[in-house]
Amino acid sequence: MTRFVNESVLELRRAVERERLAAALAELDRRGPIEVPTVIGGERRFAPGFDSVDPGDPGRVVARANATTPAEVATAVAGAAAAAGDWRATPAEERAAILARAAGELRRRRYELAALAVRECAKPWAEADADVCEAIDFLEYYGWRAVELEAGPELIQLPGERNTLHYRGRGVAAVIAPWNFPLAIPIGMSAAALATGNPVCLKPAEQSPACALALYEALEAAGLPAGVLSLLPGEGEVGAELVGHPDVQTIAFTGSGAVGLEIIRRAAAVAPGQRHLKRTVVEMGGKNAIIVDADADLDDVVPAVLASAFGFAGQKCSAASRLLVHERVADHLRERLEGALETMLVGQAEDFGTDVPPLIEAASRQRAEEIVAAAAAGGGELARVEAMPDGEGFFFAPTLVFGAPPEARVITEEIFGPVLSVEPVAGVEEACERVDAQAHALTGGIFTRNPRTVAAVAARTPVGNLYVNRGTTGAMVGRQPFGGNRLSGNGTKAGGPDYLLHFVDPVAVTENTVRHGLAP
Amino acid sequence: MLELGRRLGRRRASAAAVKRAANDRTMALVAADPELRAALFRLVDVAPACRGNEELRAHLAAYLEGIEDPGPLASFGSRAIDSRALGRASGGVAATMVRQMAKRFIVGETIVDAARPIERIWRDGATVTVDLLGEATVTEEEGRAYARRCDEALVELSRHAAGWADRPAVEADSIGPIPRVNLSVKVTALTPLVRAAAPERGRADAVGRLRELMRRAAGLGAHLHVDMESMDSREMILDLVLDLLAEPEFAAGPSLGLVLQAYLRDSEEMLERILARAAAAERSVPLTIRLVKGAYWDHETIEAAQHGWAPPVWTDKADSDRCFERLTRRLLDSYPLVRTAIASHNLRSVAYAAAYAEQIGLGPADFEIQVLRGLGDDLQEAVVEAGLRCRVYCPVGDMVSGMAYLVRRLLENTSNASFLASRASGSDLDALLGRP
Repeated sequence: MTRFVNESVLELRRAVERERLAAALAELDRRGPIEVPTVIGGERRFAPGFDSVDPGDPGRVVARANATTPAEVATAVAGAAAAAGDWRATPAEERAAILARAAGELRRRRYELAALAVRECAKPWAEADADVCEAIDFLEYYGWRAVELEAGPELIQLPGERNTLHYRGRGVAAVIAPWNFPLAIPIGMSAAALATGNPVCLKPAEQSPACALALYEALEAAGLPAGVLSLLPGEGEVGAELVGHPDVQTIAFTGSGAVGLEIIRRAAAVAPGQRHLKRTVVEMGGKNAIIVDADADLDDVVPAVLASAFGFAGQKCSAASRLLVHERVADHLRERLEGALETMLVGQAEDFGTDVPPLIEAASRQRAEEIVAAAAAGGGELARVEAMPDGEGFFFAPTLVFGAPPEARVITEEIFGPVLSVEPVAGVEEACERVDAQAHALTGGIFTRNPRTVAAVAARTPVGNLYVNRGTTGAMVGRQPFGGNRLSGNGTKAGGPDYLLHFVDPVAVTENTVRHGLAP
Repeated sequence: MLELGRRLGRRRASAAAVKRAANDRTMALVAADPELRAALFRLVDVAPACRGNEELRAHLAAYLEGIEDPGPLASFGSRAIDSRALGRASGGVAATMVRQMAKRFIVGETIVDAARPIERIWRDGATVTVDLLGEATVTEEEGRAYARRCDEALVELSRHAAGWADRPAVEADSIGPIPRVNLSVKVTALTPLVRAAAPERGRADAVGRLRELMRRAAGLGAHLHVDMESMDSREMILDLVLDLLAEPEFAAGPSLGLVLQAYLRDSEEMLERILARAAAAERSVPLTIRLVKGAYWDHETIEAAQHGWAPPVWTDKADSDRCFERLTRRLLDSYPLVRTAIASHNLRSVAYAAAYAEQIGLGPADFEIQVLRGLGDDLQEAVVEAGLRCRVYCPVGDMVSGMAYLVRRLLENTSNASFLASRASGSDLDALLGRP
């Protein structure tokens, strides 16, 4: 493979595609709950431990998963360590070929997998399909990049010496994944580790074990050697065991800030007998602002802001949660946003007309409600969707908050729900200062039609991904390398050219080629 | 056909035509440089959002940064960058230029403003369809407001049209009378709920408003023409209109129209669907179909490329032109089941339609040619002189809402492949009239 092309998303505007997806979901429902085993060394162990449920109908069990024990974690890590040498010695081309075959498996099952993400995570169709595509992209992109990386970079060469630099897999990688991109993120972190020659212990989110099993199956069907990947469904303690294990070399984590910081802290400790420093690749969410200058085209701003703030109910680390609007257009934009908010349909993820699906679980909803209530108590004015669906789903009314005090949680905390704080500012300068005052720096947006304003904001923004005149979500592999700075993460860029470097150790070899004055 | 085409093409002697030609040359000069063209479009686009000339100047300066030879834009552009005083003046010149451009394409800010220019078109022997420009509809209130404006426009236009002199040549064909009042409506402006993956939402929201407009049009004896936009709304609009057409209350009116975009690869399939439904509807007033090449080519192409889709449009312009001619034949052959409006500024396409109509025995009033205000003015004069019915698409609206329309038109006018650009650059007429 010489050139990477993003997997095409489905053309959902064609009825035939929608019908195929609906049929795949019906088939999934007909099959009933999926049993998700712990898989170590190719061996499956299953006893019903915990369930994942449909967030839109929590009575419906989507998967029953085995709860991996600490002893099983130890077995998995030991097995991975034993497999590390052979896997590292496998040429990058061969590793990439396995990943490409796994991508083919996902492609073959794409309707079913999108349906699974709809059911297990209440991810709306367009976003569920994009999740499948991104999973395919990560497998192909990292495979290709690893082949390129294996060649090593050019070094300066002088007569009488030969210098080479090679990158090699570090050893066991622990991948601790979230539920919000239940396919793309676990496979992305795993594919990066696998492509560069590291065995992987994958601990998926407890909310989405069935999606993780599908990923395991794809790699298994692709011919990945059994010891190289283990699937370890479970709750937080499985991750904690992995992080603390002395044979784990690299920890790739995407999730909350609290857990991420804890991982970094614990990974820094060197256990007795441990002969390496653990490396962390940590992606921890954001508090993302979109700036709207006075010369912005509000016709573009309104739909882009709604999609960025409320798409997938705001449950993306890239989601916008603050809107900093030039005061000259603030009233007009507020009026249009409030009107547009009323058009947002809250409903089940499986309905193609749904704009805002339910949140992942009851605790998320309660926290979001608390933050909104506190904003209102602090003087913020609320605009909320009134019409809410019936049933037990974890639905949450999309909310605009105007005039919240600067210290309000709605302005300072990541919410991971469909809540947007709208704040007038005197100009772009003030907006940049507010963004600068934040601890998070993941994504940001600017709407302006002045190229000089774009350049000025790009030059000073702390965020990892700045989006100009468009929404702030939907980064594409190879096109928008994704990842944040400051407390949003340690600056790694998923889907970018340098991501793989976090999973390898560099080794430089310098040979004296002079023998009795003769240099070849 | 060639003879007819040459006749239409050579006839450009009027004083207005000479002035327009000068404008076209300036435009062609700007359009020749892609960077300059982009700068000009961005300036036109941002103009209504700028407060005062100083802001406009600042934008222009930013757009021209790094362009080596700003050519015709230099007078109010790069030279002014260093001088604040001159800068303000240059902002003023730019604002005037944008206003003039808007005036060329937009017939008035309101129906009242537009009444006189529209009547002038009528006096000149052509007729019009009015399009109400507006901001994108993102709220229900905006959808309601657009429907209200359409309703008022129908009433207001009817009032004005009653006073127009009789022009039998453009008021009837072999089937019967053709309404004087003709309003083009956009379904995406009637509802904020257009969702590509959920056509039922937009449809459910728009159907009531469109039905009311149809009732109003029927009451006034006016024609309502539903515009087509991008692929994201096409199926919804098509189904909506075809279903309304079949409602018994509309069996006797109003005169209703749809748009067929020849640049779509599946446009012939679509036409068959429309014809089948039109035949089944058993209405006493025939459906009108406006045949266009399509105005969203760049949008469709970019969207398809970004998503990895096969483009829904022909990527070779000659394919669009050939498809246009196949559709022309099929449409004219379907008279009187449907009335056909050929909306193109391509002389070959227009001459082809006229020649084919004559060949199959249709009278000169049994189809019409449509042109865009500001772009097809020369053609309008020629078509009228040739004794054919010419309808001028006249946008009405303010600067803010008109900019998206204006930029699309400018894009079209300056596209390298466009007939107008070729004509302005002096390409041989017979070559342009050749088979696509």
